[in-house]
Amino acid sequence: MNFPLLWIIPALPLAAVGLNLLIGDRLGKRGTAWLACGAVGLAFAFAVRAVLRLAGLPEADRTIVENAYTWMRVGDFSASVAFLLDPLSAVMCLVVTGVGFLIHVYSVGYMAHDPSFRRFFLYLNLFMFAMLTLVLADNFLLMFVGWEGVGLCSYLLIGFWYERPSAAEAGKKAFVMNRIGDFGFILGMLLLFAWAGSLQYDRLFAIAPHVFVKGAAAITIATLLLFLGATGKSAQIPLYTWLPDAMEGPTPVSALIHAATMVTAGVYMVARCHPLFLLAPASLETVAVVGAATALFAATIGLAQNDIKRVLAYSTVSQLGYMFMACGVGAFTAGIFHLMTHAFFKALLFLGAGSVIHALSDEQDLRRMGGLAGKLPWTHGTMLVATLAIAGIPPLAGFFSKDEILSRAFASGHSGVWLVGLVGAALTAFYMFRLYILAFRGPSRLSHEAEHHLHESPPSMIIPLVVLAALSAVGGLVGQPMQEGGHLFERWMRPVFEGAGGEAAAPLSPRTEWTLIALSVAAAALGIYGAYRTYLVEPGLAARLRERLRAFHQAVLHKYWIDELYDALVVAPVYHLSQRLWRFWDERIVDGMVNGVAYTFEGVSALLRLFQTGFVGTYALFFTLGVLVILIELGRR
Amino acid sequence: MSGVPFLLPVDWWALGAVIALSGGAMALLLLEFLPHGPESNRAALVSLVTLLAAGASVFVVRDSRRALFDGMFVHDGITVFFTFLFCAIGILSVLLSWDYVKRTRINRTEYYALLLSSTLGMVIMAGSNDLITVFLGLELMSLALYVLVGFRRSHLESNEASLKYFLLGAFASGFLLYGIALLYGATGTTNLQKMTAVMSDSPMLENPLFVVGALLLVVGLGFKVSAVPFHMWTPDAYEGAPTSVTAFMSAGAKAAGFAALVRVGLSTLGAVRTDWVPVLSAIAILTMTVGNVTALLQNNVKRMLAYSSIAHAGYVLVAIVAGGRDGASAALFYLAVYSLMNLGAFGILTLLGRGTEERVLVSDLAGLGFRHPGLGIAMTVFMLALGGIPPTAGFMAKVYVFGVALKAGLVPLVIIGVLNSVVSVFYYLRITVAMYMEEPQAEPTHVSWAVPGALAVLAAVALTLWWGVQAHALLDQAQRSVLGGM
Amino acid sequence: MTILFAGLAAVLVVSSLMVILHKNPVTSALFLVLAFCSLAGIYLTLQAEFIGMVQVIVYAGAIMVLFLFVIMYLNLGRDVETGIQIAVRRGLGWIVGAVLLAEGAVMFGRRWGLGPVTPGPSRPPVGNTQALGQILYSRYLFPFEVTSMVLLVAMVGAIVITRGQERARRESMGTRAGARGPGGRPPRTHAEEAVAEPGLAPAAAGEPEEQASVAGSARP
Repeated sequence: MNFPLLWIIPALPLAAVGLNLLIGDRLGKRGTAWLACGAVGLAFAFAVRAVLRLAGLPEADRTIVENAYTWMRVGDFSASVAFLLDPLSAVMCLVVTGVGFLIHVYSVGYMAHDPSFRRFFLYLNLFMFAMLTLVLADNFLLMFVGWEGVGLCSYLLIGFWYERPSAAEAGKKAFVMNRIGDFGFILGMLLLFAWAGSLQYDRLFAIAPHVFVKGAAAITIATLLLFLGATGKSAQIPLYTWLPDAMEGPTPVSALIHAATMVTAGVYMVARCHPLFLLAPASLETVAVVGAATALFAATIGLAQNDIKRVLAYSTVSQLGYMFMACGVGAFTAGIFHLMTHAFFKALLFLGAGSVIHALSDEQDLRRMGGLAGKLPWTHGTMLVATLAIAGIPPLAGFFSKDEILSRAFASGHSGVWLVGLVGAALTAFYMFRLYILAFRGPSRLSHEAEHHLHESPPSMIIPLVVLAALSAVGGLVGQPMQEGGHLFERWMRPVFEGAGGEAAAPLSPRTEWTLIALSVAAAALGIYGAYRTYLVEPGLAARLRERLRAFHQAVLHKYWIDELYDALVVAPVYHLSQRLWRFWDERIVDGMVNGVAYTFEGVSALLRLFQTGFVGTYALFFTLGVLVILIELGRR
Repeated sequence: MSGVPFLLPVDWWALGAVIALSGGAMALLLLEFLPHGPESNRAALVSLVTLLAAGASVFVVRDSRRALFDGMFVHDGITVFFTFLFCAIGILSVLLSWDYVKRTRINRTEYYALLLSSTLGMVIMAGSNDLITVFLGLELMSLALYVLVGFRRSHLESNEASLKYFLLGAFASGFLLYGIALLYGATGTTNLQKMTAVMSDSPMLENPLFVVGALLLVVGLGFKVSAVPFHMWTPDAYEGAPTSVTAFMSAGAKAAGFAALVRVGLSTLGAVRTDWVPVLSAIAILTMTVGNVTALLQNNVKRMLAYSSIAHAGYVLVAIVAGGRDGASAALFYLAVYSLMNLGAFGILTLLGRGTEERVLVSDLAGLGFRHPGLGIAMTVFMLALGGIPPTAGFMAKVYVFGVALKAGLVPLVIIGVLNSVVSVFYYLRITVAMYMEEPQAEPTHVSWAVPGALAVLAAVALTLWWGVQAHALLDQAQRSVLGGM
Repeated sequence: MTILFAGLAAVLVVSSLMVILHKNPVTSALFLVLAFCSLAGIYLTLQAEFIGMVQVIVYAGAIMVLFLFVIMYLNLGRDVETGIQIAVRRGLGWIVGAVLLAEGAVMFGRRWGLGPVTPGPSRPPVGNTQALGQILYSRYLFPFEVTSMVLLVAMVGAIVITRGQERARRESMGTRAGARGPGGRPPRTHAEEAVAEPGLAPAAAGEPEEQASVAGSARP
């Protein structure tokens, strides 16, 4: 067998990180840019080569496993750095390296004037390494390495402009949310290991049906924990609030990490674990419901946001919801398909937004934009393509993937989920066109200052936009519906998802399918028309609607007060508990406890102060008390 | 004459480390007769050579297994593993102390002599197969540490820390000794092997003498490893001690306490596991939780790391609770990794500050990452490792410990452990955040660069990463050590 | 036998309690002596004559004398003593003395009156002390040697702790003086020695640094 050189794909960005650390200060901006982009570009080339080789194999054995290195093997516990290329990871790998490369190129122009240019590319390359490790990993442990790595890089990049307190705050929030998710992921992983005895995908998936009864509590718990991890990483209910805040990071980061690649890791993980999820129908149902709920919920919030990047962020959350919805109804292929097309058009949207922000000297508020179509022709053109794509207008990429998700949901009997998805699609079309109209159409609301500096972006930013626009336009054609024996994408994915429940669902009759397509296109058209009426034709209508739906608007504008709720429910109690405990143990501050809020600890504190004859005495007392408690416990036995 | 031969046959190589360390300590004291300047490196050099010699002598006989002095001291896999570990800890501590003691004006020969004696005590603890020797080793280690903690006589906190540590240490020793006496009363022997044999003959579970004795033994050792609720001395002692001593004791004393616990757990207590699992589980849960939650709001890095070390004791206790050879090897593995990360983190603190000043607040670290990139990266590596984030060694250690615990069916313990390790990352990353995302104060912290100290930190970084990637090498070692037990 | 043990144990427990309960350090120390003596008595009843004797000679004799010496040197009992207290003290002294005497009498009486307590067969072939020596240098050689290390460390530690203060100050003075000239450590003068000397005694009395300099300046 030809050596496919899988390990070199993640190794290239890592090597760039190393070089950047070692000689980065001598390279200058140009050198750094070449190094960073070159490494990712080369990784893309290697990825293409590996995938071509994969495609050359007969369909039945389209998996390449490459054991690069044994990490540790002790008894029956083994972990190795092994890479797996199958149709699923091939798609992910191409998307990550391809879109990643374009965004790297774009960043060269976007970050040109930033003093921390080198640091930026350092983090970005590190992220690429972690993401590729995650995608190509052959076992859960290595995937977790990548999983943590991308989280760390995301954290570093959100707080990239740490001088801004909001950026540091956002970084922290992303971190907290992701830790909650990681907790689930680690636990799920450990449970699987404990019950099934392996963390390697193929072995685990082969053992799982023998170890777990379908629908048993054990597998349901394990998969739900894994899904908790996915909700953290992919910003689903209830852990989605970090993603909109993450927009504090530089825009290319939002495009790469918080739209195209990292946030889709959760979807990838669920798809990767589909043999496990299929054993736990309850978990799968949860995935579908959470996905659908998030899709609708985030879309409504997106209706009223005024920050261009925040609209896109909520849109990302909503689109990720669609992907989970697909996975939940068993249509993993459709989920990954949407993941791919979404990577194209959402990256494009973010980069376009970045181009707008760049042109307007860091203005992000939609209320101070407008009429940019003529002034930023390239940005406008590409953005229009992306907006149409995400709205689901045929024959652009988003149409095919979203339609497939909806029809699959319908076919598998989840008509409620389908309906939610349809409403969500209409809302998506509405808020995306609202964004488009507010930014590019209508009268200019620019400040004088911004008007003065207005300029189209440099070629290094425009070229990636154009490439992505092309992909957004034609990328969906690999998934034309209603072809004999499934479409191209489905045929490519078949070796992975063969036998997955939803895939095998009875195919819909052409008439039903056409009806569904017509309905979803109609929903999109309705959304677009609504936006057109509200924001372009009758500028007063928006205000009147706001007035009429005051309560709803307020709720949506404040993101349903979810942030405040979390603050009150989780953050504040944990903070207080920690403070209490600290004071409780640290007698020096015992006096300060009187000012404490909670009354529960008051008694203890008073008791403690009784013992405050000397520190050592108190310590010895606790020591003895501990011994006594254990003694009593032992005596009871 | 009686039947006991006057001199037992002794394998001198197997005792090599003990001989080298005691010889080195005494040689240092004798060297005081020859005059030397206050900036002399002589003592540090001698201790370095001594520690290397000790490590080398064990290396020569690393594969032989034997019991010495009628089973008082055994030379087996666990002894070899821990002797290497203690020598490594000693070497790194000497390197860290090298300039720190000069800077803080405590560069005295006795400092190094006590350091070597303490290391000797640790080695004896690890190699003891008899409760008397365990106790003597523990006392030797502790006595030297009490003095080392209070070595900065002009520093009020150092005095206070020393006194507290001493008083509570004596208190705990009382418990330990009483426990040993009760165990002797119950079984008629202090030898662990014989004790196990006695127990297998007649079930001891009903004998309150034995149960209470074993409990007090665990309490005494629990004090040394700072398990909750016997942990309260830890933050004060760690904070007040000279930072180089903190580094040494946080790694060494804890590892030594666990070495004794592992041995006791593998032999004597192993037989009555079911009785101990609930008690030790409760202690482990408390230890992890109290350590981590209290660490969250600390502003003094030394104190924060002290609480963190309490939490880590909890993780090792999880491995001890899991029991058996797997648990023991997980504990060994974890301890080696933990010692390294902690020495590194405290080692960086020894470099901060000018002269006798201490710069150990979180705010003192602000902006350090940019002014001293090397230091920043090293500290970040240690924090990530302590937090258990891949690909550092800390991650593999946690994975293995939790994996073993899961296999032993300790699901709730693992859930709490994972939750704790998730929480712990917050305060570890706070340090990283301070280094990279905060502006330094009016007077940025001065870094007193010193070649030996930097070397030690570099070695710790390299090993932390190396063992993260090459984990199976160390893990193999740990497993073989446990398998090769007597 | 059992009665003797019970009596000695009771005295031991009560006197140990008194050690920690009594406020006056001298009294506490004296109760400690009593505790040691009772312990020695228990050893004797267990036929460990050598250890019993060592207990009395080393602990009750040497160590406690040193203890008392230090306590009196530090002059901790500064509060004015009333007549009653003195009387109580005297009374206690008499009691302690009497108990000691009685114990001694009982012990020696037993020994002389009843002959060897040990029954013949279980008696080791060599004397108690020799047996102890043999076992100490054979089976317990390792712990024995380790103990010597422990004692060495304890001694070094004690020296470091007490003399550290003086040395640290001298060293800091040396560096201060050294900053003036390139000589490194300047020759010590008699005045400095005089400054250093009194620092030893009141080490526990609060602020030795200040006291010492006051004392030093008082001397020419």
